[in-house]
Amino acid sequence: MSAKFASIGAMLLALTASTALAQTKDTLTIDLPNDAATLDPHLQWNTDSYSIYRNIFDNLLTRDAKGEIVPQVAKSWKYLDDKTIEFQIRDDVTFQDGTKLTAEDVAFSINRIIDPKLKSPQLSQFDQIAKAEAVSPTVVKMTTKSAYPALLAQLVKLSIVPKAYVEKVGDQEFNVKPMGSGPYKMANWQKGVQTELEAYASYWRTKPPFQKVVFRTVPDVSTRIADLKTGKADLVRDVPPDQAESIKSDSNSQVLSVPTERIGYLFINAQGGVTKDVRVRQAIAYAIDRQALVEALLEGYGKPVEVLGAEPVFGYTDKVKGYEYNLDKAKELVKAAGAEGATVEFLTSPAYSRATVEAIQQMVNETGLKVEISSSDQATFLKRRQGDPANAGGLAFGAWSCACQDVDGVIFPLFRTGSIWAKYSNTKFDEAVDKARVILDQKERLKLYEQAYQILKDDVPGMGLYQAYALYGASKKLKWQPTANEAMFVTDMSWQQ
Amino acid sequence: MLRYAVERLIQAIIAIFGVLTIVFVVMHLSGDPTLLLVPQDASAEMIAQLRSQLGFDRPIWVQYLEYLGGLAHFDFGISVVQRVPAFDIVVSRVPYTAMLAAGALVVAIGMGIPAGIVMATRRGGWLERLLTAIVVTGQSVPTFLSGIVLIFLFGVTLRWLPTSGSGDFASLIMPSIALGAISMSTFARMTRISIIDELGKDYVRAGRARGLSLGSVVFRHVLRNAAIPVITIAALEIGNLLAGAVIVETVFAWPGIGQLAIQSIQSRDFLVVQVIVLLISFVYVLTSVIADFVYALVDPRIRLAR
Repeated sequence: MSAKFASIGAMLLALTASTALAQTKDTLTIDLPNDAATLDPHLQWNTDSYSIYRNIFDNLLTRDAKGEIVPQVAKSWKYLDDKTIEFQIRDDVTFQDGTKLTAEDVAFSINRIIDPKLKSPQLSQFDQIAKAEAVSPTVVKMTTKSAYPALLAQLVKLSIVPKAYVEKVGDQEFNVKPMGSGPYKMANWQKGVQTELEAYASYWRTKPPFQKVVFRTVPDVSTRIADLKTGKADLVRDVPPDQAESIKSDSNSQVLSVPTERIGYLFINAQGGVTKDVRVRQAIAYAIDRQALVEALLEGYGKPVEVLGAEPVFGYTDKVKGYEYNLDKAKELVKAAGAEGATVEFLTSPAYSRATVEAIQQMVNETGLKVEISSSDQATFLKRRQGDPANAGGLAFGAWSCACQDVDGVIFPLFRTGSIWAKYSNTKFDEAVDKARVILDQKERLKLYEQAYQILKDDVPGMGLYQAYALYGASKKLKWQPTANEAMFVTDMSWQQ
Repeated sequence: MLRYAVERLIQAIIAIFGVLTIVFVVMHLSGDPTLLLVPQDASAEMIAQLRSQLGFDRPIWVQYLEYLGGLAHFDFGISVVQRVPAFDIVVSRVPYTAMLAAGALVVAIGMGIPAGIVMATRRGGWLERLLTAIVVTGQSVPTFLSGIVLIFLFGVTLRWLPTSGSGDFASLIMPSIALGAISMSTFARMTRISIIDELGKDYVRAGRARGLSLGSVVFRHVLRNAAIPVITIAALEIGNLLAGAVIVETVFAWPGIGQLAIQSIQSRDFLVVQVIVLLISFVYVLTSVIADFVYALVDPRIRLAR
């Protein structure tokens, strides 16, 4: 007990000592809804963790403002054959302890993340890589298990970690005291409170725009907005559309938004219940007014989509059109299928927007079907949704992003026969997506995905509803253009002159 | 007294054991948490592999025994998400919640008990009516609302207090008020009722007849007798404060175990959630045991009755 009081006393002292946390123009303060789960960039991959650690590390490749894949630590690359690719590594990059970044570090980073022993949650994004080796101090040779077209898109997310440092301190310590070659180095991580980063003066690419960056953990969105309005924060992440107005009404704040690769979609079970009949599935597709969903639920911060995909994703096509909103056709199809009054179970959990689920329910009810919502905890929801098709419900709403900007990461896991999410099987579709994931010819891939999207349109085992936007609240003094991949690279930000 | 103490301790142990079991059953109600932990594009093989790694493919009673065995060694497992022992994560947040709960108790007792005394002794006056209004408001406004109202009033509009954070004493003021408000009302009401109850008794009339002032009767005699129900409430309120902290800490970005609970649920870090639930239940049981001993000390009638 006395130890507890002592620690509380010590904390009170520490708190009063840090009262004078002066906010200068040198410091950029960002409010995130959550603390980083890990700062080891090879472990957790969620928006709040990578918002922080992507500023500590450089990636092998990156995307420019237009979304094109461009060099970062790798200067250039070329395919030796379909499965072997050689990267030229820059020789002017240093880690934050002053040591030079070499091909050894790059090879180590790749082999580390694909090592099953690390149990990285990102493993499924990199497990097509067989191995990497440093051929010379500036050349890395990487082999994939088969020809793997999404490789470069995945490598955009590969942070390069220092081999010598990680081996010296071990995985646990590295997670607490990360060190990379990025523009900012770790200064202090108070778990659950804030992470402070400091500019790395000898950063190779550019001069870091702020001396200090503080990422604070502020779970409640109203509080984040209050912080923004009082100047306690310069930038806040994750603003829901219905709060955007309150930021706009403040003369010192602005709303920044950007279309992302995240797609709101509706799953329709093609292998169980009344939705087994393709006419019923088509009827549901006709009954949904995507424009109305975007206007009513997203306050315009979203865009209706024709297919389950959007522009920032490779493989997206604008040649396949979705079903237009046509209630008469929907009713006819339900009648033709003899499904009037039939019950369709709509699976959901508290993780999904209740308003969206209810809006879809009402729209589908108009067709003569009877939609019943069954909400359960997330574990039960997943068990049913991913389990036996007969018990997987008729409908489910979700928002999908593979964070890889390649259609292979979207429609393959959702609809390929045998995938846990697929309650659908069509050999023609399987052939197209199977082939498209093992060839490198981009034109050929685009053609295959167009076929695949056409098949999905005809069979409707699911449909795209809208492309979601990422919304940020920012001080009017801050200049920043957010990107589709929801990254927060501080070097892209600056104060307005 | 000894027999009384032993009985209470045995009851407490049974209660804690029940909590341990309920927590385990709830965590396993939906089968297993593996599905929550895999990435969305996981294949069926990956899921099966992780399930066996985590041991969720074994019979439920084996898992239960192992769980109890782990608890006996204070081994709560390694957080699957943060890769740090779950117990350490929770312990690092305890001081914050303790500080907030202490702040809330200061608000609740410091304002609630005097308010209760005034309301009992100045019945029918304007002061009683004013205090009643405050007590009813404190009681009926939910903390997620009062918290945000406080932030916008004192943080955004008046700019007297910081809108969020845990960096200084000023940051503690609003969360303490938000969290303490409901308890304050409870203390005020309980104190008022207990005192009114006592005021009707013979010893009070006798004291007054001897010429003692109302104030001196209340402070010398009535308060001690009125204390029993108030102590009971205090013990229960500590449990309520921990529950309320979940919301208050989230609203004010206060890094205690309540906020950690929400974040761990969202990130599906079930081992951390388990430790938090166990900790809160343990505190709840412990405070009620302590309360039982305290009123045995305050009131001889209780310890002598056994």
